[in-house]
Amino acid sequence: MVDFTWKIGGEAGFGIMTTGLVFSKIAARSGYYIFDYVEYPSLIRGGHNAYEVRVCSEKIHHLKKNIDILVCLNEETFQKHKSRLTKDSLIIFDEKEFAIKDKDIKLVSVPFNRILSDLKGKPVMKNTIALGASLALVEGEITELLKIIKEQFGKKGEEVVSFNKQFAQAGYDYVKKNYSELKNWLTKKTPIESKLVMTGNDAFSLAAAISDCRLYCSYPMTPSSSVLATLAGWQEEIGMIVRHAEDEISVINTAIGGSFAGVRSAVGTSGGGFALMVESVALAGITETPLVIFLAQRPGPATGMPTWTEQGDLLFAVHSGHGEFPKIVLAPGDVEEMIELTGKAFNLADVYQLPVIIMSDMFLSEGHESVEKKFVDDFISKYKINRGKLLKKMINDKLQMTNQAQNLNIKSKNFLRYKVTDDGISERLMPGTAGYYYQANSYEHIEDGHTTEEAKPRRDQVEKRNRKWLTYLKQDFSLPKVYGDLDKAKTVFVSWGSVKGAIVEAQKTLKETALIHFNHIYPLDRERVRQLFTNGKRYVLVENNSWGQFGKLLTAETGVEIKEKILKYDGRPITAEYILARIT
Amino acid sequence: MNSSTIQNFSGYNPTWCLGCGNWGIGVAIKQALVQLGLTPSDIAVVFGIGCSGNMNDFLNAYAIHALHGRAIPNAVGIKLANHKLSVICVVGDGDCYGEGGNHLLHAARGNHNITVIVHDNRVYGLTTGQVAPTAKKGYKSKSTPAGIIEVPVNPLALALTSGATFVAQVFAGNVIQMISLIKAGIDHQGFALINILQPCVTFNKIDTYQYYLEKSYQLEKDYRKDDFKSALDKALQLDREKFPLGIIYQVEKPSYTDQIPQLKDKTLKDQERFMNFDDLIKEFI
Repeated sequence: MVDFTWKIGGEAGFGIMTTGLVFSKIAARSGYYIFDYVEYPSLIRGGHNAYEVRVCSEKIHHLKKNIDILVCLNEETFQKHKSRLTKDSLIIFDEKEFAIKDKDIKLVSVPFNRILSDLKGKPVMKNTIALGASLALVEGEITELLKIIKEQFGKKGEEVVSFNKQFAQAGYDYVKKNYSELKNWLTKKTPIESKLVMTGNDAFSLAAAISDCRLYCSYPMTPSSSVLATLAGWQEEIGMIVRHAEDEISVINTAIGGSFAGVRSAVGTSGGGFALMVESVALAGITETPLVIFLAQRPGPATGMPTWTEQGDLLFAVHSGHGEFPKIVLAPGDVEEMIELTGKAFNLADVYQLPVIIMSDMFLSEGHESVEKKFVDDFISKYKINRGKLLKKMINDKLQMTNQAQNLNIKSKNFLRYKVTDDGISERLMPGTAGYYYQANSYEHIEDGHTTEEAKPRRDQVEKRNRKWLTYLKQDFSLPKVYGDLDKAKTVFVSWGSVKGAIVEAQKTLKETALIHFNHIYPLDRERVRQLFTNGKRYVLVENNSWGQFGKLLTAETGVEIKEKILKYDGRPITAEYILARIT
Repeated sequence: MNSSTIQNFSGYNPTWCLGCGNWGIGVAIKQALVQLGLTPSDIAVVFGIGCSGNMNDFLNAYAIHALHGRAIPNAVGIKLANHKLSVICVVGDGDCYGEGGNHLLHAARGNHNITVIVHDNRVYGLTTGQVAPTAKKGYKSKSTPAGIIEVPVNPLALALTSGATFVAQVFAGNVIQMISLIKAGIDHQGFALINILQPCVTFNKIDTYQYYLEKSYQLEKDYRKDDFKSALDKALQLDREKFPLGIIYQVEKPSYTDQIPQLKDKTLKDQERFMNFDDLIKEFI
């Protein structure tokens, strides 16, 4: 079995991110599974950037402990990451730049600077040499790299393409010629099952497009920003409007306006931006306007650590908005779940007419995983849009009405937008439909939308809105997924969101464990969730925060209390080793 | 042409104070909509929070009664989703020039095709008389007992310098002119600000009907509304308590939705669903 980690590091601003992604793509195109992770400071130039890619012949869910190949574009890379090297690790570097005195390390010196000056390259092209050298070392396909260079630079003309190709070839040739101990870790597999290399943000973007989201509003904020860039790049082709508004308050209110007027709408942000949006989460709540909120967490409070990871906003998201109104919170555990749950979120928002929050974090949002292309193709062909009780004009101009709608007093010109129903959900008429009108009212209102301060209609509307939760728990809530044999397990991990992969990896080395992983976070079905917990087992809560926020939520919502906790709140993701070191 | 009537637009009976400028504004908005041949189904109105926003229950339309200050982004969103609807904001001075001031600037910049009707009475009526951003320096109110330190916001100059393509001012005592300017604002294909000078008979005993009658004047007959510098000059007269009335500025420029290729043939809500995902997926291989 092939299972190695390749890591590259260097100064920020020198293309480390692009280079890492190219390595991931070459590995995926060669038939391997990948999982990658970036480390970078909140700076454009200066500071240290690093990108690691784990490559495996089997499906993987997380990083691994040791680095097998470390590409050092500067000395700092070596110093920062040498603690993860073993005696078998290989270091690619330029001995003319700095010396490595540690004896037990295998050195592969590549004359980056000589090649650059011979070929008259720019410093940023050191990456390309390093990629060529890396591929030679693991017997990877240089042709895949040359293809990617063509894809990247093709628009700039053949000359630029060939110019860049030389650097890849030079690095590759140098290692082939001067080193004999090559590893056959990246030899191309046949046949290859086509794989996609995607981040959580890519997955949200693609799934939003598949779900027919037509309006995406955002204000750039790490780590959500790449969704804005991706969808903005696609908007003309896919018929979406992407609005980079003046602030997050405008972002969410634009989306609410768009959703009111009949299009599926979403916003994306991180904790600070979400804090600005919160008043309007309540607006979506009382006006019963569907809205999907993509919340990619980073360590707070306030500006916090913008480019690092944490799960510190769970309780904030769950309780966001003043007053009492139903919302749904989902938290995918990996890229595949991000695709599925994003699709589901748009349907839930429409069916229940409420805000649905999808929680990610920097680790999930910016790290790549390989996903079988077939998985995505199947998702596309199976995905069904469910707009719930939205009544819209059909092409023949007749009002599309369900039986319930016919029972409404639809002759009245004032549409009963907030009609009290058993399931809590009222019909929503597409604004602009001739012959009718109604208002979406931020004040408490009677069934037709007019403002009220009377006790009975207030009670009726509060109860109607609350009933949407009961309907959701019956129809659409999913119990947590269990990994491992829950009956036989002596130790049971309990977690949510992106920590899943680290625990699944840790389980490979542990005996008799199971993981209860929640991705339908809120509301929770008290009775059904409680049944998963029995006496006589060791339960361990694992979260990427310092409070054990999901543990608190679980106790509040179901009465289940987990005393043992593995928490991490230094901005770094929880890893399998971190868990193993704490389970004895 | 459609034959809607004032009654079609009339919802509940207003609860405004007797003598409040809102009555005239309410009548003018309905009359303008009737004269434009619109029905309650053809328009979307976003109301702010305040005495002005309380028109939500008195005017029949597809509507959002928004959060305080946030009517404009709601309106922008409606227009993006369905640019065939006429979209109007009914807001107050505190709402639009205070709490939501940022949105005004940026909606003007974007030349979003919405008509923003601001009830400018220089006080917060609904919260019983605190000072508004348009109040004169030194104005004494519950929240500024020693007189407000700040100088007033100049809404006309703000809108002009932010890129609004239609800027008008009118006095709430002149219903005929309000009807004509509201019609012109809705007809205008771009961002329109209509600042309505409105006495608050309950909480503002200084900026009265008499005050505005004395201090305001109709734009000269030969005034050129397409000249930005003249418009700015007119706008800056506010700082000297001189209030020009009429269309201060109007030019034709492509609106925000005019410049979105996706909307060339159909509204966003009426587009065919995009289904060809293979091209998108290629990016990830």
